[in-house]
Amino acid sequence: MDVVFIFQWLDASALADFTKTWAGLFAAVQTVHILSMVMLCGMMMLGDLRMMNVILKGVPSEPIIENTKKWIYLALVLIILTGIYEASAIAMKLAYNSFFFAKMAGLSMGIIFMLSLRNAVYLRAPEEIGANGERSESVPVWVVKLVAFTSLLIWFTVAASGRWIGFS
Amino acid sequence: MLNELLLKFATWLDTFQASTDLHEALYMYGWVEGTHVLTLTLFLGMLLVIDLRLLGVAFREIPASTIIERLDRPMMIGFIIMLITGVLLYFAIPVRSTQSIWFRIKVVLLIAAGINALLIRNMTRASDMSWDNDPVPPKRIRLGATLSLGLWALVVAAGRMMAYDWWDCHKEMPYFMYWAAGCVNELAAFE
Repeated sequence: MDVVFIFQWLDASALADFTKTWAGLFAAVQTVHILSMVMLCGMMMLGDLRMMNVILKGVPSEPIIENTKKWIYLALVLIILTGIYEASAIAMKLAYNSFFFAKMAGLSMGIIFMLSLRNAVYLRAPEEIGANGERSESVPVWVVKLVAFTSLLIWFTVAASGRWIGFS
Repeated sequence: MLNELLLKFATWLDTFQASTDLHEALYMYGWVEGTHVLTLTLFLGMLLVIDLRLLGVAFREIPASTIIERLDRPMMIGFIIMLITGVLLYFAIPVRSTQSIWFRIKVVLLIAAGINALLIRNMTRASDMSWDNDPVPPKRIRLGATLSLGLWALVVAAGRMMAYDWWDCHKEMPYFMYWAAGCVNELAAFE
């Protein structure tokens, strides 16, 4: 499917005019984008590494995962808003950038994975990982660890391909 | 005097072939910078969790000491890799970095953030941690956590701004800016 027209529309928009005019504001928005990425990746890593029993082992996982959720959602909203702002300045460059599409694919996959499998599996973590007491419908340890590892891998890909946009 | 010394040091680093090679190597430089940014997410991400707990706005059910002690190692792993890659990035572009006002601001902020981190550590160690299970820690601890978050956000901002050449030495700037950026040759021409 040809999606270049979306980039053409964005490039011709009033937002693009505004973004290209105010270089200082663009740099500030870039900073917010990076800080939001730090928030997202930090919270994801905390949850995923906890579920892999790498950090905070023995501390009940439920309050950890629950606490990270609102910060993850806040970070995602900020990332998407600042991302659209940044993209408007270089829309036509991004239209032909494979790393940008890799990042978008990873971001979509990451959000879907988090809202579906990750959330569902983490809620059913067995005592050995969750330290929340025995569950009647718990999933095997290896499933929790596999989900955590996959989540880390997806968000690593998003961050790395995002960084590589600048080099390509 | 300090500006001249710093420039001399940067110029000396610049004479190394490895410095030029790293700067001109598309993939290697990209990998080093990419690793710098990715480990920033590990270091700052863990620091964010600690500071949010010390602010009493998140992870309130978990004792503060558990969060501080158990996240210290992953945070420091991130910091060390970030530091090594940061030094390599400086080594790749020593002269421009030395004469970048943003790099200088970043270094000053890094020192301030380091001192603040030490102060927080000493404060928590000196206290009897009677507030360990309190959802909201004492005011002085919260103040330290706010400062920590603010300083590190500014460090990231200064690092991001280094990519722009608005106040590079080749630009026309007021005397103060030449001085602050350490533009030795431009300062001499000014005088």
